[in-house]
Amino acid sequence: MIQDIYKRAVVAACLSVMLAPAHAQTAAEAPTLERRPPPSLNFYGVPGLLDMPSGEMLPDGEFTTTVSWFGGNGRATLTFQALPWLSASFRYNSINDWNLGSFSTYFDRGFDVRFRLLKETNRRPSLTLGLQDFVGTGIYASEYIVATKNFDVPGLSFGGGQAAGERGQLKLTGGVGWGRLGTANSFGSPFGSNRPVFRPGDTGGEVSYEQWFRGPAAFFGGLEYRPNDRWGFKLEYSSDDYVTETQASNVFDLKSRINYGIEYQASPRTRLGAYYLYGSEIGLSAQFSLNPYVPGVPVRVAAPEPILPRPAYAESPEAYSTDWAQSALATPTMRDVLVPQLEASGLVLESLTLNATTAELRFRNLRYRSMTNAVGRAARALAQVMPASVETFRLVPMSNGLPLSATVVRRSDLEALEFDSQPVEALQVLTGFEDAMRRPAGTTAVSEDLYPGFTWSLGPYTAPAYFDPDVPLRIDLGIEATASYQPAPGWVIAGALRHRLVGNVADSDRTSNSVLPRVRTDQVLYAQADTTLDRLYAARYWRPGSNLYARVTGGYLESMFGGISSEVLWKPVSSRLALGVEANYVRQRDYDQRFGFRDYSVLTGHASAYMDLGRGFLGQVDVGRYLAGDYGATFSLDRTFDNGWSVGGFFTLTNVSAEDFGEGSFDKGIRFSIPVGWFLGTTGKQGVGTTIRPIQRDGGQRLDVPGRLYGQVRQAHRQALEGQWARFWQ
Amino acid sequence: MKHLLKPLMVLALSGALAACTGGARQDTLATALTNLGSDALKDGFGRRKEDPLPVLTRELLDGVQGSVLEITVEETDTRAYMFTAIERRDQGPGQVHVWISDDRVSMSMRNGVLIAMRGLGNDLLSSSSADQLSGDRPGPVRGGERVYRVLARDNKSVPYAMACALEDQGPETIEIVELRFATRHLRETCEGAGGRIVNDYWADDSTGIVWKSRQWAGPGIGYLRTRRLNK
Repeated sequence: MIQDIYKRAVVAACLSVMLAPAHAQTAAEAPTLERRPPPSLNFYGVPGLLDMPSGEMLPDGEFTTTVSWFGGNGRATLTFQALPWLSASFRYNSINDWNLGSFSTYFDRGFDVRFRLLKETNRRPSLTLGLQDFVGTGIYASEYIVATKNFDVPGLSFGGGQAAGERGQLKLTGGVGWGRLGTANSFGSPFGSNRPVFRPGDTGGEVSYEQWFRGPAAFFGGLEYRPNDRWGFKLEYSSDDYVTETQASNVFDLKSRINYGIEYQASPRTRLGAYYLYGSEIGLSAQFSLNPYVPGVPVRVAAPEPILPRPAYAESPEAYSTDWAQSALATPTMRDVLVPQLEASGLVLESLTLNATTAELRFRNLRYRSMTNAVGRAARALAQVMPASVETFRLVPMSNGLPLSATVVRRSDLEALEFDSQPVEALQVLTGFEDAMRRPAGTTAVSEDLYPGFTWSLGPYTAPAYFDPDVPLRIDLGIEATASYQPAPGWVIAGALRHRLVGNVADSDRTSNSVLPRVRTDQVLYAQADTTLDRLYAARYWRPGSNLYARVTGGYLESMFGGISSEVLWKPVSSRLALGVEANYVRQRDYDQRFGFRDYSVLTGHASAYMDLGRGFLGQVDVGRYLAGDYGATFSLDRTFDNGWSVGGFFTLTNVSAEDFGEGSFDKGIRFSIPVGWFLGTTGKQGVGTTIRPIQRDGGQRLDVPGRLYGQVRQAHRQALEGQWARFWQ
Repeated sequence: MKHLLKPLMVLALSGALAACTGGARQDTLATALTNLGSDALKDGFGRRKEDPLPVLTRELLDGVQGSVLEITVEETDTRAYMFTAIERRDQGPGQVHVWISDDRVSMSMRNGVLIAMRGLGNDLLSSSSADQLSGDRPGPVRGGERVYRVLARDNKSVPYAMACALEDQGPETIEIVELRFATRHLRETCEGAGGRIVNDYWADDSTGIVWKSRQWAGPGIGYLRTRRLNK
């Protein structure tokens, strides 16, 4: 593709000697932000053919959703390319006409992971090792090693698709599979034949490493031909004999091992396919690919006013006099002038501290998802208003009355670098980050109309419930009214009322069979009430000392529990490591979520370590006591992006045995959050996302407290600010 | 069709439920939806395209205080008028002139050569065109390396490095709203970063102004055409 553009550029350069290039031609030759479409996905939601995988990886950070169906086998898979060489998938599948055990339709969840062993080059194919359905009851369990090679071949432009330079693409794939992918025409068992048989109804949840690459192995392969950028044709030889579905049960008829189909790229993010599989069944799939690096609509922020430079000292030294600082009225006057400047940029002044040479502005960011953008706008507002002698600006973002960090910039740097040829990089090396507790000497003027403050809002809410064996996705939709009263800095009294308009979470007739205290498995009972007091609490936030943040929250903390929660967090501004301790005493709330409580009460708490591992990876380890009274630890890893995207997973191991825990053996799940602004091009801090657990049980459950410290503190600390420094001048 | 996407998404997201907020300023999903709704009504339903732009006459322009720049974004075929936000000097060559439009899009130029854009999304953070300028002479005076830095990916400054060659195409007389100007047509051809761009400038040495230009503003924005309507 790059060679393509280069050749066209050379041809165009020759032509330009003879002809003046038309505007359309130069627009077509300019560098673009567009990217080539990612590799297509198979029915299991990973790069591949139809049922067989390929050796390719998705672009780094790609987040895909695939929904596929054939012959009664439905699969919905989320895949995330966590690293350029590692991808992970979570799948939910349904099999109709199962009729084994007590299920007429079989639902299951599974996890996959794929590792790239070799990258594709001109001479060699890419090579990938995959573990399919490696945790859980394992109906799709298989392991494979597969290689894929791409070739340039003649292309065709048709059906809305353009073949760049009349070039098409041919992918050849071949590999070896074990487990389910080793059932058809197997050539032997190279690593031993001891492989446990799939047992439906097993509690599962364990990583069954002793079965990997054991048992019969078989070859599989296929090809994909893309004549242009829209259409693709796939043909494969499948090594999956669907033993359980065709012999133990009668889900469909397997008449052939050759599968084929066509696919159409409906939009840069959507690919649709129609196929014919196993000589007997029609198949359909839809693949949706999102990438955090390629937004739906780029975020637009209104242009800021340029910085007005001060007069040169040599020309008017009297402008730099410090006499104004003697007056007691100076700081309140500056504050009053500053408030409308900040408001125009979506910021709210909390306090201003001034002396002759330094100004510290404590502000609240209401508008920008990017805290760096807010800091930049605050610096511009100060540069607009402050007398010439004020040279150093300290910008302190606040959250819930907590000063989070101090970004220190010099006014001369702001004036000199705004139109530099590298303004972002040049200012970044000259900016300092300090603890906000170090206040400069001087007079302070506090905002007079912020406290007591009251805000309210009315908006929609959704409450999903996943993987009920009868109905895979239940969801409630309704209206939520929230209100928040801030009597003084650091104090918050807040609450939320929910009224459900429509939903089917309450319709489930499954009751909990948990042997542990039912701290989370009574979701259906809690969903019976239409109007609920979701939360009502009072909270106090304060800074006990440098690098320390603390809170105490009391009241109805979440829909199922109420009580008192306290937390202390230690995190220096430039540190990648943070440590915290949380202690809670809570009682379980009544099912109707009004003001009553049930009998169960528990003391829970955790000691946590939060680690910024670089490249956007945030790891967290929490050790302590969970809601059901069990002791253990939770390990989580999230990949975050500097525009607000976050995808990650977690698991918890406690002293509850696998049998007592129930189905799934231990608590685990995935979670993701996508900023709304990524889809719509707006700034704003809201995101859409969810936490998905394959199964919700009572072991390893933490309290869901509003206003935990790490998230709100980290967003204004050095790694987060520097990661988006490109937004400072916006 | 693109301009319908935003309002359709607003309707899809907010559904039939109203979103309201009150009290002191705050940021919630409800606020975001409300603002988006009102923006979509302004932008999405074609207000910009259907509003008739004023017919320009020299009489009209003579009555305007300050300088006016007409800017056209080629990719979306939208036109706007910009006024001076600031003219200043810094340690780089020539004079920096920041233009800003009514709907808060700003364009920064140094001696008539684009150095930054704000307010369009995928903004041009900076361009190293200062290396191709000299004193107060309008337009570029030499070729050389140029790096365009664009706000892309996840809030990062992404560089596009190009090698530029300058050709003086000779004198050309251009007409802008009933006035004729004697200019030199300069053409800059830059190659790199997987593509090729061509910038055109019609520069007037006697006044030090670039009266007309067609400049590339980065992969996110594309080409811009500017015309300086008055002095």
